[in-house]
Amino acid sequence: MNLGFRHDFETLKWMKPLAIGLLAVMSLGLVPHAARAQDMSFDINETESTPKDKGKAKDKGKAKGKAAKEEEPAPAEAEAGASGEASGGDVMSDISSDKGKKEKETDEGGLPREKEVAEKIYAVQRMYVLRRGRFELAPSMAFTVNDQYVTHNALAVGLNYWVTNVLAVGANFLWYQGIESESALNFAIRRSARLAVPVTQYQLGGNLNFTYVPIYGKFEMFNDSIFQWDAYLVGGVGVLRTRPVAVIDPAIRTYDFDWRVAFNAGVGLRVFLTKWLTVFGELRDYIYMEKLESLQVSLSDRKVPTTWIDANSTLTNNVMMHVGITMFFPFTFEYRYPK
Amino acid sequence: MSTMKRLAITLTTVVAVLVLSGTGQSAQAQEVNVQGPLAGAPAVINMRIYRQMRLQLQAHFSMTLQDQFSRAMMAGGQIMFHPADWLGLGVWASFAVANTDTALTDQIVSKGQTNGVNVLSLPNPARFSSQIGRINYIIAPEVAFIPLRGKLGIFEKLFVDADLYAFGGVGFVGVDERANVDSTKFQSCKPNAMSNNGGLASEVACLSNSQGARATRTAIAPTFGIGLSLYMAEFLAMTIEWRALPFAWNTSGTDEAGDARGAYPDSQINEQDRLSHFNHMISIGFAFYLPTAPKLSTAGNE
Repeated sequence: MNLGFRHDFETLKWMKPLAIGLLAVMSLGLVPHAARAQDMSFDINETESTPKDKGKAKDKGKAKGKAAKEEEPAPAEAEAGASGEASGGDVMSDISSDKGKKEKETDEGGLPREKEVAEKIYAVQRMYVLRRGRFELAPSMAFTVNDQYVTHNALAVGLNYWVTNVLAVGANFLWYQGIESESALNFAIRRSARLAVPVTQYQLGGNLNFTYVPIYGKFEMFNDSIFQWDAYLVGGVGVLRTRPVAVIDPAIRTYDFDWRVAFNAGVGLRVFLTKWLTVFGELRDYIYMEKLESLQVSLSDRKVPTTWIDANSTLTNNVMMHVGITMFFPFTFEYRYPK
Repeated sequence: MSTMKRLAITLTTVVAVLVLSGTGQSAQAQEVNVQGPLAGAPAVINMRIYRQMRLQLQAHFSMTLQDQFSRAMMAGGQIMFHPADWLGLGVWASFAVANTDTALTDQIVSKGQTNGVNVLSLPNPARFSSQIGRINYIIAPEVAFIPLRGKLGIFEKLFVDADLYAFGGVGFVGVDERANVDSTKFQSCKPNAMSNNGGLASEVACLSNSQGARATRTAIAPTFGIGLSLYMAEFLAMTIEWRALPFAWNTSGTDEAGDARGAYPDSQINEQDRLSHFNHMISIGFAFYLPTAPKLSTAGNE
């Protein structure tokens, strides 16, 4: 696996094109830049098109496309997909270099002798997981990270449908009531400064969301295991059901839950454990206009509920950290190979 | 903690443990499983070894998070030597270049109230900002552990090498807090019940000087966190770090402790008023590596 994009150039120095036969010609034909783009593409076309198609599609007549066209591989080679590794040059090119030396030793008449390679060595590594057309179920625990007065923790579940390998539409649901708690800071402020901070209680929330994956990568651990991951953007709109907690005049005031319109935007990180199971962490800001308890107590209308709510709404950002797992359904998928 | 909350946390923990333990075998599926000429090859060959036997010099900017009363903006540096690509030993330091009051501090300044019970905690609301605790510096000898190395691509256009690391050490934190006020001082400010000369106003005036009196000390705290390095060149990386520093200090400068029976207040400001806080911060920095050229891994040298 190639973990440094400039390795391609380093490796090219070692290659001896005349000696490594068909494999090296393919590698050169796919040139490092193309290989990099292919290396971690989430485009299903990666698995559907031959290098010939890829050359056409990606380069539209450029040299690398031509090279790929000239060296149209057998279906068996194409089926496993493309790889920056193959042409990019670490493991594959290292093997190629060794082969090149051996073949050069048996060279006759100055021409490289084509050697049969028993191992299937693919030009492009197929992507680890296909998401298009699959559902993703994401249970999680959510924690408030920006509200010092009330921790609006929640149990959450999300459901996404992946329209493409990088774009999903979905919904999520959060249940807060019974899980959130008031912090000790509130009590301390009331005691030390005689200052009451209006707080609210949440019951539930629901949102419709888009998810887009602009960043993805892989990590190796001690040069042994490789983990695929991606970072994503999420955003949408939904509802939140909240109510004020009476702290100014708790003897009289009580409140019912009411609906608020909430927008949300966030970023997340997903690490694939298997082809259907991931762990994820997500930071999401739920933005809405909150109705807080009125700081004024009307002596004449103290028991009139309309005087209990502050006339002005307050823009509220409830930033939450989601930690959980996601499961893709169906569990398995098929790579579609060129015919 | 409510029963429902306990149940929710317990269920979540159990599910997480079961799922993670049950997928141990599956997680191995991502190992490079190649037969033939590649059998036994390491996951990566020709990988740039960015850290091994290199010295890292880092300049960074930090900001504390979730502060109750005062936020610290800090600048500093780090020097770290890496005997192995996965291990680093060094010292991280940061100094406050600015402290800003939070919205809560502003609210107390404008709306806080003083009476006979909280007069020691808040002699004068308008001067509350002068009694709150602040962080002056952090110096932390620490060990970094770099288990994950990889690359990431952005919009399939920009690809950069990256590594994820965790670190831990001992933090020496310079804090600036409200100076102690002993009970003798507080009692001396109490208005004479017989003469009743001035009441609360005289008490406030008497305690006013103590509100702005400061004391500095060095708190020792564990420090730990995680970070991400994005290598922009062979000798340069951008780093993003999250760091925690849990320790006890009196962030508000108020009288929080009670007497032996728990009654409040105990009428003195001292170390018993320090409450535990999970202090944490985020840092963005640029790390330079010496020598400037990294080695490449080979099949026998990863």
